[in-house]
Amino acid sequence: MTQPDQLGVVFGALADASRRQVIGYLSERGTATATELTGELPMTRQAVAKHLATLADAGLVESERQGRETRYRLTQAGSEWDDRLDSLRRHLERRRR
Amino acid sequence: MIRKEIVLPAGRDEVWDALTDAERLEDWFANDVELDLRPGGGASFRWANGEERHAVVTEVDPERRLAFDWDDDGTVEFTLDDAADGTRLVVIESSPAWSTALELQASALARV
Repeated sequence: MTQPDQLGVVFGALADASRRQVIGYLSERGTATATELTGELPMTRQAVAKHLATLADAGLVESERQGRETRYRLTQAGSEWDDRLDSLRRHLERRRR
Repeated sequence: MIRKEIVLPAGRDEVWDALTDAERLEDWFANDVELDLRPGGGASFRWANGEERHAVVTEVDPERRLAFDWDDDGTVEFTLDDAADGTRLVVIESSPAWSTALELQASALARV
């Protein structure tokens, strides 16, 4: 099943040079807050926030709240399975005791 | 497509149980699980953060293989094999929408 709309959203997200800069920065640094990105890239904080929202809608970037700040990173395929399998291993270890 | 592999400190029967018993799934996978373990059977997973996902079981080969289709998008396959010190579990998840997104992301990054 292909999803042309989703594809269109991804192409749209990648079509913008500023958003590719955001992707490039996140790829280099791993994670960043909107404030950090604003300090590093030639954009206003408002523009950074808008670009991050577009990238998140396209599934390219994910966010995580840490205390009062929100950190962004490139979507890592499968990272949720690392957590789940780790939790399965702990579940099995608990049962052995 | 995502492929993950782990060797678990338990026999295949025990791992199979952990994968297919709703009560045990509630200890490691989701907070609330309903599972009708037969091809065509339904599965529902609910998490504490309000997330809810539904699936249809597509393959049940006890202590060997379990597969289901998410109703939103994608498939998940578990394969169990004996390992020297337990059970090797391989998980393969594929999702047409995000594999395309991830491939595009990878090709975009190659040029950054």
